[in-house]
Amino acid sequence: MPEQLSVFELVSNASLLVQLVMGLLALASLVSWVMIFQRWFYLRGVLASVDEFEEHFWSGIDLRQLYMELDGSADLNGIEQVFVSGFKEFTRLSEQSGTDAEAIMQGAERAMRVALTREEESLETHLPFLATVGSTSPYVGLFGTVWGIMNSFRSLANMSQATLASVAPGISEALVATAMGLFAAIPAVIAYNRFSARVEVLMKRYDAFSDELTSILYRAAHSRTA
Amino acid sequence: MDSRLLMDVRRYAIPVVLALLLHALAVAALYGGWNPEQQAKVIKPQIVKSQLLVLEPKAKPRPKPKPAPKAQAAPIAQSKPEPKSPERPVEPAPDPQADQEAARQQAEQERRERLEALAQSSFLDALESEAGDLAESQAASDAEEVAQSYRYGIYRRVVANWSRPPSARNGMQAKLLVELVPIGDVVTVTLLEGSGNGAFDRSAEAAVRKARRFDVPKESEIFERYFRRFTLLFRPEDLLR
Repeated sequence: MPEQLSVFELVSNASLLVQLVMGLLALASLVSWVMIFQRWFYLRGVLASVDEFEEHFWSGIDLRQLYMELDGSADLNGIEQVFVSGFKEFTRLSEQSGTDAEAIMQGAERAMRVALTREEESLETHLPFLATVGSTSPYVGLFGTVWGIMNSFRSLANMSQATLASVAPGISEALVATAMGLFAAIPAVIAYNRFSARVEVLMKRYDAFSDELTSILYRAAHSRTA
Repeated sequence: MDSRLLMDVRRYAIPVVLALLLHALAVAALYGGWNPEQQAKVIKPQIVKSQLLVLEPKAKPRPKPKPAPKAQAAPIAQSKPEPKSPERPVEPAPDPQADQEAARQQAEQERRERLEALAQSSFLDALESEAGDLAESQAASDAEEVAQSYRYGIYRRVVANWSRPPSARNGMQAKLLVELVPIGDVVTVTLLEGSGNGAFDRSAEAAVRKARRFDVPKESEIFERYFRRFTLLFRPEDLLR
């Protein structure tokens, strides 16, 4: 064994189970980072588009015209989806004769609520995975470490003369598993907290927007019937 | 379905690339540049460098000139009789008369007085008289050289066999008297002066006993003079340097 133990030698010398644990953790870390980047870009895009849409919405544009603009495009983001589904339901119901204003509003609200739920779901995708990685990978790493240390002490029991040098590589190798667990867990936990806070902010804005839209539609529905 | 998949691929391509890049970076950092931690891991054994000094009473005349003369005067006087011994057969030869015995006693008496005077006199005087007296001074220096090389061999052998106790400290010293038989086997090892540390003294004694046998000169004169009995001085120096 060379005097300078590299981490890679430690990993390659580890027992099969510890190697499996390490592989699992490496995979978890990789996937969670993919999700972190994906969510990061996605949420940043959504936030920007919400800002843009609200500005557009309150710029005094005719709602019907806005609806026409958006309805054609295939790729609608969250807040546009809420607006389109609510407005579509509103126009559809108000075009039918004999539906009173209350029923129209209920239909529009329901449609918006559905759209909001869908939107929340899409905002929160991958977050449970990050939470799982964040909370379990330290334990998985710890399991690998405990297993490795167990083995290195067991092999120590067979030796007549116990030296630090005979256990140190085993322990060091086992500790790599804990290090990897933490390496996977820390970013995942941070990302989870950050992203769930951001999702919450977005959902509040969606709710506020849908309430605003409801009041506008309400006004429209009642002025029409009156 | 197909377009959805395409969209997914597009949406995930960059994150996948970024994540792979990040992990590759981490692995590269571990593999390559992140050395300080690993270098720190190299445990340097705490080397206890120690030197062993071999001291023989006979060897004294040579290194003597420097040390303070007073204290050493006595040992020199003691060691004198041996170098002188060749003179003994020479003296009685010229006069085989009846008063030979008396003359010899006279000479002996003289010599003893002279030795005592020598012991009292300053060291420089002793050295001068020695140089003047000893005809075999050249031979002695040759023998000294031979002895020196064997002494070095003994020194190496003792050092190789010496394992110092962790409690050894600078300034300790243990003096051992070693007695050999002509083939070089160690017969007795006695502690003359202990260091005050039992473990250290024992380690020194054990070093000699473990060496068991030393290379000694074939010439019996040199052996008798330098290696029959000699003292070894053990001291651990340059501790933890």
